[in-house]
Amino acid sequence: MKTRTWIIILSSVVIVCAILWMSILNSLSPSKIVGIYQDGNLVEKIDLNSVTYQREITLTGEFGKNTIYISNEHIEMKSAECPDKLCVKHGELKSGGTPIVCLPNRIVIQFEDDSKEADAKTGAVR
Amino acid sequence: MKFFQKCCILFIAIAVLICFTACNFDSKYDSEFFSMDTIMTITAYGSKGENAVKAAENEINRIDALLSVQNKNSEIYKLNRDKSISAASDTLALVNRGIEIYTLTDGAFDITIEPLSRLWGFYTGLENRIPTQEEIDNALKFVGAENIKIDKSNIILNEETSLDLGGIAKGYASSIAAQILKERGVSSAIISLGGNIRTVGTKPDGSKWNIGITDPDDNTKEIGILSVSDTAVVTSGGYQRYFEENGQIYHHIIDTKTGYPAKSGLKSVTVVSKDDTLADALSTGLFVMGLEKSKEFYRKNSTLFEAVFVTDKNEVYITENLKNSFSSQQSFGVIEI
Repeated sequence: MKTRTWIIILSSVVIVCAILWMSILNSLSPSKIVGIYQDGNLVEKIDLNSVTYQREITLTGEFGKNTIYISNEHIEMKSAECPDKLCVKHGELKSGGTPIVCLPNRIVIQFEDDSKEADAKTGAVR
Repeated sequence: MKFFQKCCILFIAIAVLICFTACNFDSKYDSEFFSMDTIMTITAYGSKGENAVKAAENEINRIDALLSVQNKNSEIYKLNRDKSISAASDTLALVNRGIEIYTLTDGAFDITIEPLSRLWGFYTGLENRIPTQEEIDNALKFVGAENIKIDKSNIILNEETSLDLGGIAKGYASSIAAQILKERGVSSAIISLGGNIRTVGTKPDGSKWNIGITDPDDNTKEIGILSVSDTAVVTSGGYQRYFEENGQIYHHIIDTKTGYPAKSGLKSVTVVSKDDTLADALSTGLFVMGLEKSKEFYRKNSTLFEAVFVTDKNEVYITENLKNSFSSQQSFGVIEI
C-alpha cells in the first residue's frame, strides 16, 4: 500500500511537470493568431498556422472597400479604395510588429498577444 | 477506492496551487479606440483601471471634438472658417502654448501650417499631390504665428491664416489622460495615442517601462529601447505619412519656411519629456531644424527635454541624460550639454 502511494505521488508530479513544461513551451513559440478589427469590433480572428487555402476578406467603410489577403504565411491589405492607401503600402504582416491600420475605414489588422521586449512602440502610427 | 481518492486529492491540491500562482498577477484593463484621426490604446493596472481608462477615453474624445481640423463642429474648424472665436479654455491654452513653442523654436514648430498641409493633401480623405510653386508662395504669406492675435478668450486670425493643432493636440490629450488616471488612483499605466507614448508611474513590478523606437526603414524593427517612467516619449518621422511621385518621396513634416517637406537630413526624432505637449511639438520642431541646429537648441534647453535622432545615413544620436536609459544593438553618438 505504501509503495503504491509513492508511485501515485511521483507519477502525479511527473504529469504536472510535463503539463507545465508544455505550457511554457507553448507560450514561447511565436503566436500566429491575427485579429481583424473594424471600428474597434472584432471582425475575425484567424490562426495563420491553420490556414489551408488562401482567401480574401472584403470590408466596407465610409471610404469604400478594403480587401484583405490571407495565407498561412502572411496577411496583407491587398487593395483599398481610400485616398492615401497607407494600409496597402504597409505590405505583408508575417509576425508581430506594427499592425496594419486603415484610418479612413477604421480597420486594424494585428497579431494577438505577440510577446515582445518593448511595452510600447513610439512612432509606429501617426 | 482508496487509490482513486488519493489520486483525486493530490490532483486537486496541485491544481489549486497552479491556480494560485497564475492568479497572482495584477489585474489589467486595456482599451483600444479611434480618436484624433489615429488609433489609441490605454492599458492600466490595478482594480481602479477600468473606470479610470473610460474617463480618460471620454476626455480624449472631448478634446478631439474641440480641436479637430476636419470636424465641422470643432472650435478650430469654426475658427478657421470665421477667423475669430471666443474659445474654450482648452483651445485657448493650447493655441497659447503653440505660439510659445513657435517662439522657442524660432518658427520650426508652427500651428499655422494648415494651408500647407491641405495643399499637400495630408488630411484624411484628401488626395496627396505636389502643389505648384505659386500655390505654395501664396499659402506662405499667411503662415507664421504672428498672424494669430489673442485678446482675453478671443482668438483672431489674419484673413487667410488657418490653424492645425495636430502637432500638439495628442501631446496635450495624453497629459490630460495621464492626469485623470492618476487622480482616479491608477499608479501604473501606459498610453499610446497613435505612437505618442505616455507612461504613468512604473510597471506593476516597479521596473521601468521599455519603449521601442521604430526603425524608420522597417517598422517591424526597433533602433533601440528607452527605459523610462512617468514621462512622455514622442517620435516624428518622415516615414510615418508620405507619398511617392516620380520616384521622389514627399513626407508630411512640412517646413513652414519653404512650404516643402523638411529636408533636414533626419529620418526620425524622438523626444522624451515630462511635458507631453512640448514633447509632441519638439519632435516635429527638431525634425525640421535638423541635427546641428537641434544640438544647439538642446544645449540651451537641456532642462526641458531629451532626444534620440536617426539621420538619413542611419546614424543614431542621443542627448547626454539618456545615456543610462537608452540601449541599442547598434552604436550611437552622445550629444553633450
